[in-house]
Amino acid sequence: MRQRRRGLWLVFAVVLFGLAAWLMLSGQGEEEAPPPPKVAFPNRMRPAERERMEKRRTYVAPVVDAGTVAQQQPIRPSDPILAALPRGKGKTAVVIEANAIRHSPIGEMLLECLMNREGAELERFKKETGVDPFQDLDRMVLTDDGVILSGNFGDDRLKNLLTSRGSTNYDYGDSARLFEPPVPQQRPDGSTRRGGPQVGLWNNQMLVFGRSADGVKEVIDRVEGRGPDEPPVISESSTYGEMYGVLSSEQLKKLFPKEQQELAARLAEVAENVELHVDASSDFAMTAQVKGPDAAKVTDLGKSLGGALSLARMQAQAEGKTEMAQLLDFAKVRPDGDEFKLELAVPLEVIKQQLAFCREQQSAQNEKPQEASPTP
Amino acid sequence: MNGVLGIAGYVLREAASRKFILAFLLGVTGVLVTLSLSLKIEVVDGALAASRLFGEVMDINIRAVDVALKPVFMAAAGIVFYGGILFGIVSCSDFATSLLSPGRIEHLLALPLRRWHILAGTFLGVMSLALLGSLYGSVGLVLIFGVKTGYWTMGPVISAMLACVSFAAVYSVMLTTATIIRSAALCAALGGITLVAGIIAGFRTKIAPFIEEGVSRELFKGVTLVLPRLSSLAKAGMDLAASTPLGVQSLTMLLAGVFVFGLGVLALGFWWFEGRDY
Repeated sequence: MRQRRRGLWLVFAVVLFGLAAWLMLSGQGEEEAPPPPKVAFPNRMRPAERERMEKRRTYVAPVVDAGTVAQQQPIRPSDPILAALPRGKGKTAVVIEANAIRHSPIGEMLLECLMNREGAELERFKKETGVDPFQDLDRMVLTDDGVILSGNFGDDRLKNLLTSRGSTNYDYGDSARLFEPPVPQQRPDGSTRRGGPQVGLWNNQMLVFGRSADGVKEVIDRVEGRGPDEPPVISESSTYGEMYGVLSSEQLKKLFPKEQQELAARLAEVAENVELHVDASSDFAMTAQVKGPDAAKVTDLGKSLGGALSLARMQAQAEGKTEMAQLLDFAKVRPDGDEFKLELAVPLEVIKQQLAFCREQQSAQNEKPQEASPTP
Repeated sequence: MNGVLGIAGYVLREAASRKFILAFLLGVTGVLVTLSLSLKIEVVDGALAASRLFGEVMDINIRAVDVALKPVFMAAAGIVFYGGILFGIVSCSDFATSLLSPGRIEHLLALPLRRWHILAGTFLGVMSLALLGSLYGSVGLVLIFGVKTGYWTMGPVISAMLACVSFAAVYSVMLTTATIIRSAALCAALGGITLVAGIIAGFRTKIAPFIEEGVSRELFKGVTLVLPRLSSLAKAGMDLAASTPLGVQSLTMLLAGVFVFGLGVLALGFWWFEGRDY
């Protein structure tokens, strides 16, 4: 009897080992879980960006005053786009690396979406101007006074189009041509017929759109070395990321929604300007460096901003918006004396989900003609 | 059943009389008290704005409290898991051998108890001890951070429970070893080997490709199939403590599997113990 009971323990043990193996195998699974998402924030210049920066030093401004000390200094080529940027405090300039964004995963998704919706319009634009925005456009700069585009704008069709607006056009500086639109005319109904923006084409590689002819001329002057001695608002060492630049506190205030105007006003009061860097090479990661003269006020603002982000995350969690909550998991504020750095990220997967509607629309459109066509 | 509980109570009384266990409890209390007194945390709208330990600024980043505390809870869960098992191996290695020592075992066998009651009671007593210790440490940690930050989570407590289940698998091996050879050192050594094997078993899918394809790889897969996946459970415990998504398919099944492994080894111990002459 005792031997039989003892044997039962052995059988029991074997059964338990089998059960344990099955449970552990099912519980853990044979497939490795994907690693948790990691986002690389644009905090410094990477080797590829340094190489890009060096390649862009292509223009040597002609020396104006021969025989001065300036002539004796070695002539260093510069990036014409950086030279074109506004100078001094309180100015805004945001550079969008159109070509880099276009070749990023996010850019490809956006492009697919855009082609689905506006493909025909884009084709028409290419035919009329000879400019393919996806091939010929390198960078786009947004400033307080207008827009600057860099790339390949040498096609005659573009010049013909600019001339055909009925504008006066003339050469300016060393390598620029300015296209001034006709004077605004009063329509019979009282409205004004606008002639479009002032346009400047520099060296077939830079298009400058401005509100006034003087504004466009100032940009050309800066490129050709006739501008003020102050450095541009974006230094060469800050040209990292797919989008970067400096926002004045006034411009920043305009970007905030109505319900956050209090925070926007505080930001405008404390910060001199905000330096932005966006990395879209894999996920969408953004850093914003806020600088101000009063270190204590800047630190307090950083804490308030951190609190606002934390509240937004909690709200998203409470409302079951898991994607938004995951996104805000990466949000943090890093104070450092009279400045702080805000880091925000949107994982690529979240962007894919957000753009899913575009694919769904396209597949729905593709299915419709098939449904409509009679079956043989 | 009374017999099992009686032996368990006997083990607990034995533990209470040991200075080693008392020192452990005092140590955990000391860490918790020091942490609560020296840690200063400033929270603004649910964001950890500043934290100081012994007056030194720790992390300058301002971020949501639960996100900022994730690494703290993960580290605490890891320390509780592996540190707790290691401490358990060392401190509980001679409970079974002393119960089975000459003179005492004869006395126990003379009592109206079944033989398996002695082993099951010892196992239950040691597990109660592990459960109380881990609950004490984890609840204390949750209370400290909860009061200081307003962020309350059960993660570290659940994680400590996972560590207890893992220790059950390790201790069952130690107990069964004690029935074969009455050596506290050997019990501790086999407990340590089980821990290491359990860590390896948790990484079996990652390790397997590095082993030469064929018999050796299949042998490795076969052996680690049965072993408790302790490192997977530790990782799950850390994920739970930090409220991050779990990396395992089903924690319940994994947990049940590790516990059933412990019961299997215990059943093997019962089988051997039933056949021994004292």
